[in-house]
Amino acid sequence: MQTSKKIVILGHFGVGKTSLIRRFVEDSFSDNYKVSIGVHITKKVVEIAAGDSMSLILWDLEGTDDLETIRNSYLLGTHGVIFVFDVTRPSTFQNINTDLKIVTEKLPNIPLLVIGNKTDLVVIKELEELLNKNQISTDFLTSAKTGDAVNDVFLKLVNQLNGAT
Amino acid sequence: MNEKDKLEILKDILFTDDREYAEKIAKRIAILEQTINEQKKLTTKVSPIVENQLKEFTKSIPTSLGPTITATLKEEIKKNKDEIVDALFPILGKMIKKYIAQEIKLLSEKINNQLSTKGWKRKFKSWFGGIKEEELILSELSSASIEQVLLIEKNSGILTASYSKTDTMDQEMISGMLTAIKTFVEDAFNQKNQNLELIEYELYQIHLQSFINYYIAVIISGNYTLTSKNKVQDLIFNFYDQFMDIKKSKTLNKDVIEKELAQNFNNADI
Repeated sequence: MQTSKKIVILGHFGVGKTSLIRRFVEDSFSDNYKVSIGVHITKKVVEIAAGDSMSLILWDLEGTDDLETIRNSYLLGTHGVIFVFDVTRPSTFQNINTDLKIVTEKLPNIPLLVIGNKTDLVVIKELEELLNKNQISTDFLTSAKTGDAVNDVFLKLVNQLNGAT
Repeated sequence: MNEKDKLEILKDILFTDDREYAEKIAKRIAILEQTINEQKKLTTKVSPIVENQLKEFTKSIPTSLGPTITATLKEEIKKNKDEIVDALFPILGKMIKKYIAQEIKLLSEKINNQLSTKGWKRKFKSWFGGIKEEELILSELSSASIEQVLLIEKNSGILTASYSKTDTMDQEMISGMLTAIKTFVEDAFNQKNQNLELIEYELYQIHLQSFINYYIAVIISGNYTLTSKNKVQDLIFNFYDQFMDIKKSKTLNKDVIEKELAQNFNNADI
């Protein structure tokens, strides 16, 4: 049996939302950065158990520095959300608590994962210290470029959604 | 009678003719003066002459000016070839492109009609039915046909069930994008309770029918007339009625819904 779930990926401009999806869906990466405009939709079917699968419909929303401006209609019927920030750009996570508050207000009672992306560009130990210092907790630290921890993000979300079904 | 009187009498006798002649000339000069000074009178006299001259001139243009004009044009074209090509290219390019596209379309249609079983069927129909083959082709080409039907969850854009004549791109992704487009347009016009109802894409039209929790997208090819639209709406409402019954009676089973979709929309005459 196959179920379908709508997953929304949110975050500031250029944090690597599209790259994360591309790594997960196509297992590829490109350094050629193109700004996402509006919304781009892709899909990946994940095997849950023998004969059971989950079809993830991934809504890659265009990046915005002000999450209040996100079109609410794009968020309707969302089953899970992934919030992405760029570990090399403090401007994308320095107000993360405010950003997450907006997200949970817009999308209450659904699984939410917080991801710090582009770990290939920093020293992990220094990054962890910086995040601890700023009291920022993440679910995963990923690199869309190397593929590090990318699948884990989506698999955790699938498990959470499967448990909620 | 003195000498002076005699001389006058003699003058009268000798110059009578000259005096009459002089008076006539004076009268003619007065008429001419009047004609020249009065525009209306001058016009009646001069216009026919000018008109004749113009007619003559017009007749003689090809012989008198023609060679000069032709030579000048040739010279200008020779000097400014690039400018002329630039000016004509968009016009001629479009014409040629349109012509070639049209010809290729006709050729492709001819080949298809010659080769397909549909073509043979049409020929038989034409022979036995007494209807011209061209008329049958025209009626086939113009009729609308349902290519695909998608039952989509209104908010999430998740595909609940589908019916399709042919294989297309991933239907779940189509459903998501249709929902994104639909919500974007509806948001953009900021009109509550108004829905996007039709998307036209070259030879295809996507009829969208919204309900409370779902919407149905019917992809149609061919000439989608108002009559066809009415028929499609009837089909949608019939199906949705059955779908609501299925929903009430048991948990949503995709196979059951798709069976209903196929029964309602397969080979539907619109």
